[in-house]
Amino acid sequence: MKYYVIGDEDAVLGFGLAGVRGRRVRTPEEAGEAFREALSDRDTGIVLITERVAELIRPQVDRYIFKEDFPLIVEIPDWEGKLTSRPPLREMVNAAIGIKL
Amino acid sequence: MRATAPTKTNLLKLREELKFARLGHELLDQKRNILVVELLTLVDQASDYEKKVEEALATAYASLQEAALTMGKLRVSSTGAAVNMRPTVTLKQRKVMGVVLPVVETAFEERSPHYSPLGTSVWMDKSVRDFQEALKLMGRFAELKASIMRLAAEVRKTIRKVNALEKIAIPDLEESVHYIQNRLEENERDMFTLMKLVKNRLTREESEAAIP
Repeated sequence: MKYYVIGDEDAVLGFGLAGVRGRRVRTPEEAGEAFREALSDRDTGIVLITERVAELIRPQVDRYIFKEDFPLIVEIPDWEGKLTSRPPLREMVNAAIGIKL
Repeated sequence: MRATAPTKTNLLKLREELKFARLGHELLDQKRNILVVELLTLVDQASDYEKKVEEALATAYASLQEAALTMGKLRVSSTGAAVNMRPTVTLKQRKVMGVVLPVVETAFEERSPHYSPLGTSVWMDKSVRDFQEALKLMGRFAELKASIMRLAAEVRKTIRKVNALEKIAIPDLEESVHYIQNRLEENERDMFTLMKLVKNRLTREESEAAIP
């Protein structure tokens, strides 16, 4: 199975160097389309998506992450660094199960 | 409390049910504890990996930027197109208390040299390596994140079941058993006094019949 990357120019170009196919997106429409395309390919194992792009289509991504098992989705920081508005992993888990770890 | 007829059969049945519910509660409680421990270790590992991924990506982006500065973005992308490298993902599964978790393995299939070292910057080579490193981390990170999501969902489900048993089902059954037991005892006492009465009346009639 393969990786697939959705993100800005640098992310796609960079991972392209390591042999990952991907799509450069700028608008929510493009992002949604790329996301659907990535998921529709049965050979896609892991989708890398930059946080800023994921933010554009947040409801779609979240629905997918919490409901579906496959492919796996990873949000990665882009060249500007990590988005500060995203909660840390531990807090996300706490919120998800409703108890404090 | 359920509306059950206060009979001996129902009492036995409810007692059996109560025993079963208690056993289930104990098992689910254990399951929850095991899942939470597993989840904790995974979350620790994942936050570790998150940092590593961030660092690896930051270095990789920096290298790419240098490469773009020295060679121009267009040439970086055209040279990059020549890189013959194919990362492949193998997905396996492992099970924790019946929850299926993914295990990701990333392998690289590459045929180097990819491009002529003449006229390409060293940053180009470094970008390729850096992104390859980042991608290696990414597989494991994806695995951890997906595992956490699934485990969290399972923990939530288990907690709900444990609470339902502990707060509703078991007290309910206990109350029913108690109620039926009381009713049966009450009936017994009723019968006892009734018998006494009958016996008294009989002995009185007997003695009255004996006197004349």
